[in-house]
Amino acid sequence: MYRIVCFLIMTLLADATCMAQGAKEKLTRFGEVTVFARRPMKEIGIQQTRFDSLALKENIALSMADVLTYNSSVFVKNYGRATLSTVAFRGTSPSHTQVTWNGMRINNPMLGMTDFSAIPSYFIDNASLLHGTSSVNETGGGLGGAVKMSTAPLNRHGFGLQYIQGVGSFKTFDEFLRINYGSGRWQLSTRAVLSTSPNDYKYRNHDKKENIYDEDMNIVGQYYPVERNRSGAFRDFHLLQEVYYNSGRGDRLGLNAWYMSSNRELSMLTTDYGDELDFDNRQREETFRGILSWNHIGHGWTMASNAGYVHTWMAYDYKRDVGNGIMAHMTRSRSLINTIYAQAEGNYYIGNKWLFTGNLSVYQHLVESRDKNVIMQDGNLGIVGYQKGRMEMAGSFSAKWQPSERLGMSVVLREEMFGTEWSPIIPALFIDGVITRHGNIMAKASVSRNFRFPSLNDLYFLPGGNPNLRKERGWTYDLGVSFAISNGRKYSISGSANWFDSHISDWIIWLPTAKGFFSPKNIKDVHAHGVELQSKMDALLGKQWNLGINATYSWTPSINEGEPMSAADQSVGKQLPYVPEHSASLTARLTWRQWTLLYKWCYYSERFTMSSNDISLTGKLPPYYMSNLTVEKQFAFKWADMNVKGCVNNLFNEEYLSVLSRPMPGINFEIFLGISLR
Amino acid sequence: MKRISIWMIIMCLILLPTSCMEWDYGLVEDFDVSASGRGLFVCNEGNFQYGNATLSYYDPAARTVENEVFYRANGMKLGDVAQSMVIRDGIGWVVVNNSHVIFAIDINTFKEVGRITNLTSPRYIHFVSDEKAYVTQIWDNRIFIINPKRYEITGYIQVPGMEMESGSTEQMVQYGKYVYVNCWSYQNRIIKIDTETDRVVDELIVGIQPTSLVMDKNHKLWTVTDGGYEGSPYGHEVPSLYRIDAETFQVERQFKFNFGDAPSEVQLNADRDKLYWLNDDVWEMDVEAKELPTRPFLPYQGTLYYGLSICPHTGDVYVADAIDYVQQGMVYRYSRDREPIDSFYVGIIPGSFCWK
Repeated sequence: MYRIVCFLIMTLLADATCMAQGAKEKLTRFGEVTVFARRPMKEIGIQQTRFDSLALKENIALSMADVLTYNSSVFVKNYGRATLSTVAFRGTSPSHTQVTWNGMRINNPMLGMTDFSAIPSYFIDNASLLHGTSSVNETGGGLGGAVKMSTAPLNRHGFGLQYIQGVGSFKTFDEFLRINYGSGRWQLSTRAVLSTSPNDYKYRNHDKKENIYDEDMNIVGQYYPVERNRSGAFRDFHLLQEVYYNSGRGDRLGLNAWYMSSNRELSMLTTDYGDELDFDNRQREETFRGILSWNHIGHGWTMASNAGYVHTWMAYDYKRDVGNGIMAHMTRSRSLINTIYAQAEGNYYIGNKWLFTGNLSVYQHLVESRDKNVIMQDGNLGIVGYQKGRMEMAGSFSAKWQPSERLGMSVVLREEMFGTEWSPIIPALFIDGVITRHGNIMAKASVSRNFRFPSLNDLYFLPGGNPNLRKERGWTYDLGVSFAISNGRKYSISGSANWFDSHISDWIIWLPTAKGFFSPKNIKDVHAHGVELQSKMDALLGKQWNLGINATYSWTPSINEGEPMSAADQSVGKQLPYVPEHSASLTARLTWRQWTLLYKWCYYSERFTMSSNDISLTGKLPPYYMSNLTVEKQFAFKWADMNVKGCVNNLFNEEYLSVLSRPMPGINFEIFLGISLR
Repeated sequence: MKRISIWMIIMCLILLPTSCMEWDYGLVEDFDVSASGRGLFVCNEGNFQYGNATLSYYDPAARTVENEVFYRANGMKLGDVAQSMVIRDGIGWVVVNNSHVIFAIDINTFKEVGRITNLTSPRYIHFVSDEKAYVTQIWDNRIFIINPKRYEITGYIQVPGMEMESGSTEQMVQYGKYVYVNCWSYQNRIIKIDTETDRVVDELIVGIQPTSLVMDKNHKLWTVTDGGYEGSPYGHEVPSLYRIDAETFQVERQFKFNFGDAPSEVQLNADRDKLYWLNDDVWEMDVEAKELPTRPFLPYQGTLYYGLSICPHTGDVYVADAIDYVQQGMVYRYSRDREPIDSFYVGIIPGSFCWK
């Protein structure tokens, strides 16, 4: 109730002030500027997709999963808002995408993957996708690629305050607060996001029918019920504290501390005939990530070192009412992760033609899994789980050479050690060159070897962990061309086309055993290849009209080329399950004075749910298009900037599924009101 | 520039109306397999949490199979993890574990005739009478009592020595007024239930994790344990096949496998004088045998067999191959003389069979 009152007061305040003062011209813009100059040597041959601040700061309700969905062609597999969101980058599995935050890898060491729904995009100031081979510059194990995210100082003087509140369908509330202070040397910032919702959207359940019985319990009628998303509530809180100090003599110190508390119910399937009041299926997580960083910029060299700590506590509880409201545990699973991290990096320039980089990173993971409580044969309680520690070290050295402004080459050598096992040398070679300055047409090519070590659950989970697993290994080849043209302030257009080819061997898959539990095995050889297209246009259409369009498309066949498991195996030569062959996204932003109209669209082709690509009733998910629309109005006052934003998600009220038996919400709305004190 | 902008806007306008997802909901087919006489239902578990369990129907005489028959006949999904099925008086009772439901279907039209909902995690159903049946559960220390006529849960049998989290009751066989149940996951017992009082009246300790239970022509119960797994706090031991006298409820004989073996799916032939089970290969043994056989009935073919059934009419052996567990499984049919007769694709993870 308090939040509703706050929201109404702010709305009235905004309207009244608007009428009194009228619109003003001043706007706060985050637009990306394309600079045609000598390209950074660190980016020689790199294939990357950068997300600009317009995408990252579009609204406070978005997670990085949403940003990836609408601004890249990566397939995001999720079950709706605040549910596990994983990615298939270039047709690979979620654990093949490495994720870094301020240089520290944040993939869950037990699971290997990252949940992008747990990363609010408002906490990220810079983000980019490193495609395939390009990830080797940053980290190992990115057989699909890497997502690189970081925060940055605001670089403003004095105190600042920004508050945004969102109220949306299904009693969804989103709140964001940022308080910052800046002086000549110091930059301090505190950000907080709170999102809550019962998330009980309505949908027509086509997977089940309700029966109408007569007195003798004969079925006399059936219908598809309109149901609410059952047991889908969430409450996510994030707090980010940043402190930056610039000595003015080339030294920069930084502290980033990010705390997350998440309490999410796990929605019931469409095929669940249990009473939602009798079951409680819930996942909770408390995570702290902290990084201390030091950077020094010298004459012709730079040095940086980071130290970090990650603590994650996760709980999964599945309970059932056994009568009288007593909820008894059916499953009680806990996991605990403590990670200590240190990294050092040095860059040394020789003139403006050579750059040498060395990087060394160390992670020490200490994990504990308590998956199940059992009564043992002697009557005492026992716990099914494991406790393990693993040190992961990685070192890389790269030499980048730019003999002329038109040509660049780079060699990276990387070596990794997980536990006591070393990877072979991981080489990567990059080359790029400007073909012609007309249109800034540039060609890029790269090749790399890569390895991914099994996660701790792959090796040790009880029951089923397989300590004899081999590393997944792969070779990736990239070849691309890009262009960028501009006509002063009138327009700029850029685009790229990239072909890639990846062969991954010893792909790890969890399979059931004769004893009823799952166990991972090195099974598949996968050939993932395809084409990625990107284009971006910014245009000044009239005096105060701006149009920006960003479009991506991917064709990603990801084919199982392993040995058949038996004579009956129909999966060889087929697309991997849940990997769309085609995906595309588009965002179009039209601005006029203080008004902005944003249209977002994405498309995923048919996804097979079976490795045999069988076209049965349950064997595929139909393709879908998704459209969102946002209208925003900004107000500039002497004392503050304000904005009102209305979002329509699922504009055409599509019934769609991203995963079998997990309905997604239909058309829904959210209004945001923001204020930034000057 | 103007032209480019116009093209961009046109492209957006083209995309806007194409926002439709193709669905093939609501299509219903009419089946009538009453003329075929004998038939075999295959419960395909599907993948846990994906709600893609299916039911297949095989006509052994015509050697034809119909897949997804529940979905096609009813216009809705079967659910998440189809665990088992039994037939009583022309009604098939399909237990769908993670959907918390048991569907009652007409075994000739596959149309639903009723359902029992809000079960915890049902595994198997056993009929005590027309108006009483037991439903075993995993993650629940109670066996549910239901009224099949009213599709209602009428009570519970509390199983001693179990908590919800470690609760596991599985297959049931009846001898006289007693129903015997093997307790599987992190358990080592066979329990005995008095059907007149609906109470557990006795229990028998066997090895770690008895997976299945049958009763032969001599009223001997047979169960096979899987022995647990390496690292289990509950223990890891040599799996065994046990012969238990139903009258005295005592172990009469223990047949030990090799350490690390994973025997499962004990089945009987029509005359209930031969046992079959899976242990990589398919094995056969006379119920009077004194030792385990040394040569398999059907050798391992490089894949993990997941389900097993013996035709009660012909003695043909049906064995299910789940292949990679995310594609249509294959069922192989052999004669009692080990001759291959037929093979057919069914649904994902074919785990249990039910004969019409």
